[in-house]
Amino acid sequence: MTGRNDCVGAYLPSILVPMKTSQRQPALEIQGYRPGKQALLVFFETDCPTCQLALPYLNGLAGGGVQIIGFSQDDDARTREFVRQMAITYPVMLDRGLQLSRAYDPRSVPAIFLLDEHGSVAKSLVGFDKDGLNELAALLGHAPIAPADDGAPAWKPGCGSRHLDPHSEDPHSEEAASGGGESAPILRRVAQPAQRITLGDGEDLVEFCYHEFGDALPVVPPTSEKVAAMLKPSSLSPESVVARVPPCYGEATVEKIAANAVMAGCRPEMMRVLLPLVRAACDERFNAHGVQATTHFAAPLIMINGPVRDELGFWSRQNVFSNVARANSTLGRALQLILLNIGGGRPDGIDMSALGNSGKFSFCIAENEEESPWEPFHVDRGLQRGESALSLFAAEPPRGVSEHTAQRGETVLRAVCQALATVWSYRLCGRNEAVVVLCPEHVKTLHRDGFTKPAVRQFLFENTGIPIRYYTPADGGEGTQLVSQYREITILGERCYQKFSSPEAIHIFVSGGTAGKFSAVLGSWATGPAGSQMVTYPIPDR
Amino acid sequence: MPVTLVHPGNEKTPQAAAPPARLQSLAGKKIGLLDISKPGGSFFLDRLEELMLTRYQAGRVMRVKKPTYTKNAPPQVIEQLRGMDAVIEALAD
Repeated sequence: MTGRNDCVGAYLPSILVPMKTSQRQPALEIQGYRPGKQALLVFFETDCPTCQLALPYLNGLAGGGVQIIGFSQDDDARTREFVRQMAITYPVMLDRGLQLSRAYDPRSVPAIFLLDEHGSVAKSLVGFDKDGLNELAALLGHAPIAPADDGAPAWKPGCGSRHLDPHSEDPHSEEAASGGGESAPILRRVAQPAQRITLGDGEDLVEFCYHEFGDALPVVPPTSEKVAAMLKPSSLSPESVVARVPPCYGEATVEKIAANAVMAGCRPEMMRVLLPLVRAACDERFNAHGVQATTHFAAPLIMINGPVRDELGFWSRQNVFSNVARANSTLGRALQLILLNIGGGRPDGIDMSALGNSGKFSFCIAENEEESPWEPFHVDRGLQRGESALSLFAAEPPRGVSEHTAQRGETVLRAVCQALATVWSYRLCGRNEAVVVLCPEHVKTLHRDGFTKPAVRQFLFENTGIPIRYYTPADGGEGTQLVSQYREITILGERCYQKFSSPEAIHIFVSGGTAGKFSAVLGSWATGPAGSQMVTYPIPDR
Repeated sequence: MPVTLVHPGNEKTPQAAAPPARLQSLAGKKIGLLDISKPGGSFFLDRLEELMLTRYQAGRVMRVKKPTYTKNAPPQVIEQLRGMDAVIEALAD
C-alpha cells in the first residue's frame, strides 16, 4: 500500500549468508533474508537523487513475489520519510553501522546485488541504469520494469556510498547527520535552524515581509508560531535538507519550506504535498536551473491527481487555472515563493523571462478524474490509480481552443491540432512537448466517438503539422534552418512537416467545468535530457 | 508585543571572488571561446576567433562548447578552459 512500509528499522528473522567477496570470510547476518530464493539487496541513501529516481522502479518487482530488501545508509527518521515519500512497497532495513555496506563494498549508491538461491552474488548494478534494471527483471523471470520512454534518463550515476565517507564511523550520530560541521561534506543532510527575526512593537509585519521576502504580492508573515503549526504534520526534523533549490542552490530545509508555505497561505496539511513537490522541482530531470533562468515564458505547472484532490480540496472544475480554490492557489504560490526565496530565482534578477508568465503567481491544476472516461493522468505516468501524485511541467501560458459547433470528435481534435501547431514557434518542429487540457464536454464527444486516450494522442501526433509551403522561400525565420531534420507527412492532402517527434510528446489532462467547450494547449520549454523533462512524484498518504 | 519571524530564504552569503587582473594586451595570450550551444553562437565566435588571431595576435584560441544551453557547463567543459588567460562566452540568440 502506498506510503506504508512497516519494516523500516525493524529486526526481521535472519539467517547467515556468505558475503560476495570470499567464501572464507565469516558469514554476515542479513536481517529479513529468506534462504533458497533469489533476492535483491538494495543499498541507498535517502538524499541521493539517483536513489530517489531508482528505488521506486523496484516496486514493479516487489509486486511479483521477488524478494527485495532495501538497506538504508541513513537513520530511522530519514529512512521512514524516504519510504513514505517514494512510496516504497518492499521491506527496508537500516544498515546500522554500515556493516553490510562495508561487506558488499559498493563504490556508489544505489547499488543492487542479485543473490542466487545460495546467497551468492549473481549480478550487481550500481547507479540508475534502465537496461540493467530490465536485465535484472529478466533474470528474475519478470517483465521489464523501466520503460524507455517514461521521461527518466536511460542512465544516471549515483552518489558515493556512505561507508567510503571518512566521516562514516557512526553514520547515525547527529554529527554525521549534519555533515560533521561546516567543514565536512559539501552536501549536508541537516542544516542550521533558520534565523529568527524579532520585530518590535509597532512594526508592520506585512510591510516588513513584503519588502524583505516574497515577490510583488504581500504575504502572510511567517511567525514562529505559524511555522511551528505548519511543521507539525511532518515527521522530519525542521533542519532536514529536502533539496537544494536552483539556480542559487539554497538549502530547502523542512522549516524553510514551512515558512514559505505560511507566507503563501497554505494549511499545515499541505506539507505532505510540498515535500515531494520541492523534490520534484529540484529533480535534475526537471532542470529548474534552466527553467528559472530562461528568457522563455516557462513556469512550473503543477498537475495534481488522486485522492489528495478531495482530501485537501484541490479544484479540477470551472476556472481551474484561476483563483478558485485555496489548495490550488496556495500550493502554486508556495512553490513560487520557495523558488524565489530559497532558490534565488528573482523575477527582477536571475529569472530573465522576457515577458514572464502569470503562472508565476500560482500555476496549479487538478485533473477532473470524475468527468473522464479514461485512466487518470498519473496512471499514464506509471503510478497506481489509487495513489495521489503531482506532476511538474515547464509550461507556457495556456492558449485556448474553442470548438462549440463540432459534431464529431475528430473535428474537436483538428481544432486542438491548430493550437498545437503554434507551440514555441509555428515553424519549429520536433523539439517541443505540450500538455493538452481537454474540457469535459470535448472529452464526452471524443469518448462517444470511440476515442481512447492513446487514440487521441495518436491522432494529434499524426495530424499536427506545418504546411511545407510556409517554409518557402526561406526567410531565415525560427525553425526554417532545421528542415533537413524534420519528418514529412500528409495532412488532409497537404504536405507538412510533423510538429512533434512522438505521440508521447503530447500529454492529455482532463480538467475544467462541465459547461463550455473550451480546451487549452500549453506548450513546453526546451525538452528532453537537454532541456526540462516532466517529472511525476507520488504524494504520500495522510 | 515583539513578534518573531522565521527566515524563509537562503541565508548563505555568496562568497565574493575578485576578478583577475585585466589583460594589458591580447598578444600571445591563450583565449577560450565558450559556445553555450544556442543557435547563432558559432557565427559570433567564428568572427571573434578571426579578430583575436588577426587583429590582436592572440597566441592561441580554444573553442569549447557546452552540450546544452539549458544547464550549467559540466566539469569537463570547465576543465578544457583551465589555463586560458581569458574566456569569452557567447550567449547568442
